[in-house]
Amino acid sequence: MGLLDYYRQFEGMSEEEVNEGLREEAAERRRKALTRVETLDLSLTTWPELPHPRIVSAITFVARRGLHRYPELRGSDLRGVLAERHGVDPERLILGNGAADLLSAATRALIEPGQQLLTRWPSYPLYPIMARRAHGLAVRVPGPIDGCVDALLEAVAREPDVRAIALASPNDPTGELLGAAELQRLLEQLPEGVAVLLDESLVDFADAQPSSSSIELLEQHQRLLVFRSFSKAWGLAGLRIGYAIGGPSSGELLAELAPDLGVSEISQAGAYAALHSCSDLLERRVETIWKERPRVIDGLRRLGFDVTDSQANFVWAAHPALQGGELAARLARAGVLVAAGDALGEPQHARIAIHSKAATDRLLSAVQKAL
Amino acid sequence: MRSDPSDNGGLFVGRRPGTAPVRFRSLPQRGSDVRQRIDGSIASFMLAGITLLCLLCWGPIPLACLWLGSQANYLTGSVSLGILVSFAGLFALLFGALALMKRIDGAWILVRRAAGHDQRAGVLGRIFAATAVVCALGFLLWFLVIHGPGTGLVTRGNGS
Repeated sequence: MGLLDYYRQFEGMSEEEVNEGLREEAAERRRKALTRVETLDLSLTTWPELPHPRIVSAITFVARRGLHRYPELRGSDLRGVLAERHGVDPERLILGNGAADLLSAATRALIEPGQQLLTRWPSYPLYPIMARRAHGLAVRVPGPIDGCVDALLEAVAREPDVRAIALASPNDPTGELLGAAELQRLLEQLPEGVAVLLDESLVDFADAQPSSSSIELLEQHQRLLVFRSFSKAWGLAGLRIGYAIGGPSSGELLAELAPDLGVSEISQAGAYAALHSCSDLLERRVETIWKERPRVIDGLRRLGFDVTDSQANFVWAAHPALQGGELAARLARAGVLVAAGDALGEPQHARIAIHSKAATDRLLSAVQKAL
Repeated sequence: MRSDPSDNGGLFVGRRPGTAPVRFRSLPQRGSDVRQRIDGSIASFMLAGITLLCLLCWGPIPLACLWLGSQANYLTGSVSLGILVSFAGLFALLFGALALMKRIDGAWILVRRAAGHDQRAGVLGRIFAATAVVCALGFLLWFLVIHGPGTGLVTRGNGS
C-alpha cells in the first residue's frame, strides 16, 4: 500500500454515498420481506390470535394491584358470571386450572386403584394418562361417533370395574360431536356408579346443536359432569383456566375437584374480562370457523380425503394413498404445519386446524401440490 | 413504569445531529503505534501550518497586495492600476490561501484518523475565527496604543 493510499483508506463515505447505501439496504429488506412466506401453523387446536388488549389490560391491572396475596379461593365474581351465562346455580360450578386439571381431579376422585376409565379412541391423549395417575386403567373403545354409545355400553357391560367414562365432545382429534340425544341415551342406560366426564373444551365451535344442550341434561343426570375451558375459542390457553358444572346434588364431588388454593387471580381476571367485554370476539371467531369449516371439509374431500364431520376448529383427514406423517412432511415443505396422526392415535390421519379464509386457501393449495 | 432506556416517548427519533459515526468503504488497516504517533505529530504540524496561513490572511497578504499596488502606481503613474493590482492580488492570494487551507484541513482529518482519533470534522472554521479575533485585537492594540492614529486621537482628546 502506497503512502497516499494508506491515508486515503481513512476517507469516510459522503452523506450521499451513505444514503444511497441505506436506500439499497432498505430496498433489499423490502424485497426479502415480500418474498418471505410465514409458516402457517395448523397443527394446534388453540386460537392463533393474541389475546384482546382489554383482557391483557385487566390482567395487568390485577398484577399491579398485588400478587403478594393469595387469590380469592372461590372466585365468586367469575363463577357468578359463568353461572348466569349457563343458567345454573353458582354452587354447581367450580373453577380450575384448566379443564384438563379438573378432569384429572375428577378421575382421581372417582377411580380407586385398579378401577377403569373408559374412553373413545382416538381421543384426547390426556385421558389414559389421567387414569394411570389415579392408579386406574384406561380402556380405549375404538370406532366412529356413529354407534359409539352402543360400543361404550358394551364395554361397560364387558369390563369388570368401570367407574367413569371420559368423552370429548367435539372430540379431539376427530372433531365429532356426540349429540345430546345420544348422550342422554348413554346416561340413561349406564349402570349405577358410572360417571360421565364430558369434556366440552371445543363446544363453542359446534353448530349442530346449541352449546347448552349437555348442560340441560345435568338437571336429570347426576352422574354427568361437564367441563369447559377458556383455552380454545376464548384463546386464553396460557391462563390455564377452566370450569366444571355438575348436577343439582353434585356439590360434594365438585368440592373435591376444586384446586386446594384456588385459581390464580390473574387467570380469573383474564377470564372475567373476556366474558364481560369480549363476547363479540368469541362470536366473530365462531362465525369464522362456521364459514371456513365446510370449505375445508369440501375442499379436502374433493381432493380424495376421507374427512370426518367435524364440529371443532379442526378437521381429521386421511388420504388413501398417503400416511398422515408423510402428508404433514410434504405440507411442512410448503410452509404449512399440520399434526400427523401418529401421536394422536391413527397414523393414516392428520389433524388440520381451521383459521381464516386466507389460511384455508393456502392450505388447500398446499395440499393439492402435496398430492 | 418505563424500564427500557431506549423508550424516550418518541421525543428523539433517530440519532442526535452530528453524532453519526464515520462510515468507511472498507475497514482501514491501521499502522503500528510508532506510525500512529508520527501521524499525530504530522497532524500537529499541519494544524500549525493552517494557523500560520490563517494569520497570513489577516495581515501579511493584504499588506503585500498593497505594496504590489503601490509599486504598480509608482511604475505607471496610474492610481487606478495600482488599486486594480492590489485588489486582484488580494483576491487571488486570499482565495488561493483558503483553497490550500481547505485541502490541508481535509488531509489533516485523514492524518488524525490515521493517528487513532475519531476525527469527524475539520478545524479550519474554528482556526479562521480564532485568528480573526487575535488579529483584530492585535490591530486595535497597535492602532490605539502603540503607533496608529489612535494615540493622536487620545492625545487631542486630553488636550481639549
